[in-house]
Amino acid sequence: MRFIKHFWPLFAALALLYVFNRSWGMVPPLGKVFSPFEGFLQHAVAGHSRQDEEILLKGIAEEVTVYYDDNAVPHIFAQNDADLYFAQGYVIARDRLWQMEFYTLVASGRLSEVVGGAALAYDRFNRRIGMARSAATIAEKLKADTLANRMLEAYAAGVNAYIEQLTYRDLPVEYKLLNYSPERWTPYKSILMLMNMRNTLNGGSYDYGLTKVLARYGADVVANLFPDYPALESPAIPEGTEWEFSPVPRPVVPERVTALPDSDLLSFYMPAPRPEIGSNNWAVSGTKSATGLPILANDPHLQLTLPSIWYQMQLAAPGVNVYGVALPGTPNIIIGFNKDIAWGVTNLGPDVMDFYRIQFRDSTFREYRHDGQWKPATRHIETFSLKGGRTVYDTLYYTHHGPVVYHKADPTNTDRVPPGYAMRWVTNETDDSDMLAFYYLNRGTDYDDYREALGYFTAPAQNFVFSSNGGDIALAAAGKLPLKWKGQGKYLLDGTLASHDWQGWIPKEQNPAVRNPSRGFVSSANQSPTDTTYPYYLDWRFAHPARAIRINERLEAMTDATADSLRALQNDNYNVDARRVLPRLMKALAAADSIRRSAEFDAVERWNRRNDADAVGAAIFESWLDNLMAAIWEDEFPRDDDFLFPSLDRTFELINNEPDAPWFDNVNTPDTVETLDDIIRESFNITVKHMRERLGDISARTWALGKVKGTRIMHLVPNFRSFGRIGVNNGGGSSVVNATSRTNGPSWRMVVQLDKEWPVAYGLYPGGQSGNPGSRYYDNMIDRWAQGELDTLLFMKRADEPSDRLQRRMALKPTK
Amino acid sequence: MLFVLIVVIAGLLAVVGPWWTIAPVCFAVCWWKSTSASQAFWTPAMAGITLWMGYALYLHFNSGVDLATKVAGIFTAGVPALAAVPGIVLVLIIAVLVVGPVSGFAGLAGLAVRRFLNAPASP
Repeated sequence: MRFIKHFWPLFAALALLYVFNRSWGMVPPLGKVFSPFEGFLQHAVAGHSRQDEEILLKGIAEEVTVYYDDNAVPHIFAQNDADLYFAQGYVIARDRLWQMEFYTLVASGRLSEVVGGAALAYDRFNRRIGMARSAATIAEKLKADTLANRMLEAYAAGVNAYIEQLTYRDLPVEYKLLNYSPERWTPYKSILMLMNMRNTLNGGSYDYGLTKVLARYGADVVANLFPDYPALESPAIPEGTEWEFSPVPRPVVPERVTALPDSDLLSFYMPAPRPEIGSNNWAVSGTKSATGLPILANDPHLQLTLPSIWYQMQLAAPGVNVYGVALPGTPNIIIGFNKDIAWGVTNLGPDVMDFYRIQFRDSTFREYRHDGQWKPATRHIETFSLKGGRTVYDTLYYTHHGPVVYHKADPTNTDRVPPGYAMRWVTNETDDSDMLAFYYLNRGTDYDDYREALGYFTAPAQNFVFSSNGGDIALAAAGKLPLKWKGQGKYLLDGTLASHDWQGWIPKEQNPAVRNPSRGFVSSANQSPTDTTYPYYLDWRFAHPARAIRINERLEAMTDATADSLRALQNDNYNVDARRVLPRLMKALAAADSIRRSAEFDAVERWNRRNDADAVGAAIFESWLDNLMAAIWEDEFPRDDDFLFPSLDRTFELINNEPDAPWFDNVNTPDTVETLDDIIRESFNITVKHMRERLGDISARTWALGKVKGTRIMHLVPNFRSFGRIGVNNGGGSSVVNATSRTNGPSWRMVVQLDKEWPVAYGLYPGGQSGNPGSRYYDNMIDRWAQGELDTLLFMKRADEPSDRLQRRMALKPTK
Repeated sequence: MLFVLIVVIAGLLAVVGPWWTIAPVCFAVCWWKSTSASQAFWTPAMAGITLWMGYALYLHFNSGVDLATKVAGIFTAGVPALAAVPGIVLVLIIAVLVVGPVSGFAGLAGLAVRRFLNAPASP
């Protein structure tokens, strides 16, 4: 009794220490996290330090100098390549370590290790599409490539040098809140970062949706409603460009072009390519510019996140001095410029993901039928170690096409891929090295260097825009493009037929490309890469051409272009779709008195067809267009049932030129035959009704596009809502050049004015250099981005060049 | 005296050690200096609270960004009643609820264990 009387406070204290030192479910260790001495308040930084520092590091050969400028952009000056990539890894890790590792956990299907079972289905899907396995193979192969291996190893060593310095109090705040710590970095993880990009840009498919259409309506309807080329297009490679090569033999279209899904296989669903993942790039030649030399612009559109996907930096060492944005976790500059050249990317969007119906011999899944023989499938066991200790296993079968994404109906499969469909996907190609393409671009000085660099690129296929101070402008598609018969992979394919296999690759030098076209500019906006004369089949559907049409119209008309002309074009809000379809739509509305007298009609009627932030007409039109598409197509092509809608382009053609098409009738109302005008009016009324319910009566403030759209830039962890920014007020839309929607938009805007002496460049992205939500450099560029402004980029000639924008110096010194 | 000793020693140790170093400090100082159970609980509790609150407020008001509100927002998501409370207040409440009891019971434990060892073997 006496013992208990005297010792219970000790036990109470120890119990409290235990309780507060560990996490409970999603509640982090409260003692650690809320102690101001080592918890998250350590990240509430007082501002940008101006203190110079010296850091001793093991792993570098010579001293590296890093200057931070007034936007927290590091300018790294190293004395050899290995030190340069070491320093790049070290410096990025200081700002973005948590984010880098998070992406690798996503790509390798390991998120459930840090967030628990809630992410298991997502992880299983990511494992089953094979990214981690392919990344491991690529990393293994690159060990044989001295250059790539040295670069990746140096980068990893730099990241690890930072990780080794970390104590709990320095850990990025997300680690504290989710209660885990960083693992060592490896070259494999840098490859995983690139796999993530491949998945983002190439990880979608229309195959199932279109196969459903084919099965229900037949080939004639597909040919009519889902044509291989839009009615209105302005292709990336200018129409009429000669193909200066002799094409290799193209595979012949086989008798059977699809394996229709079995009636019980209704559960297939791969995400469709997301139209909001697109990009713009262009370059004007000296004949169009005020300086007499090319100017280049690029703005890749991605999901807007915090921390930002991009990180600005300058990398300099003997033989290289380059500025631009890097992907946290990978060496080199991805989009940028050096003294002589500039380059940028947009997604090409070819069909590089196909599905094959696999006929297994039996339910052991050991053998499958192909080309008249039974062939062995390879089996892999995937292990998932969930946070909290539970382990889950999953069996994965590979055919020669690639992984069988799901081999039987699976209740936990939220992405609903068909049982027994194997996937051939360019993301799982393991040769060449995208990294080397960027390595050589970073060091390029002219057109030949650029073309040679692109030869190393595999995926995701991109339109690389290029300009040089030698006066060249160019656009070239880089990446491996499968050699297909016309229409191959439009539908689900038959895995038993050898003729359905991918038939090799288009020779890379025959990828669509153009140099110095007579019109004086090159551009791309994810539209059809070429006109219909290109000898190879790439895909039947590319991004809606509205952005491309507008960009090319404006560039065509542009003379004496300056960097600011191109900046203005990046922010162009003109709505080409409205110009194309609104006159016909308004005619139908005007015929109805009740609508014609409404304030909403008036707002659209008076709208100047620009998606400006304050435009009420734009807000109505954007919402109306969605409702109009649904009103026309939902009855015959129900999206809930995984049918694909015809494109905007085809729909506009029907509205303007085929008003009597049977598709306008709503088949769900057998007693009445709706006309085009009925559908237009009904969809407008529904739009107005919904907007009134949501926003109250029409007013210039509450119905303005910027308010209705409500652009948001959220943190990568969905639960960390308060780490994001909501209600960013800006214009734009997915079909205008300023492609800012609610959640997606220009993730980096760059304009580079080439110069014989030294280029002048501008750039900005919707976020900030720091990944720390407690830093003012976490989101300091967002407001200027929303306004369409660009920063003048500080591109230093040499390490000792003075600039009043430099705020502090960090010297990395080798330990003796 | 007790109060000042804890604040100074625990403050110095907190700069280099983990968050729980405050507990052994309270335990030892109370073993050494405390005279009553009430003092051995409340003085270290208040010292711990002063130390954590003081440093938290210092960090908060010297920072250019209100990180406390961002972090508090994660925990109060879905509780609209708390949305109006400044983040730093919620953060301080949790910090107080952690450090107060830990320091208090550690201090009380110091006194109690001393009394156990120093007491005559049996009355």
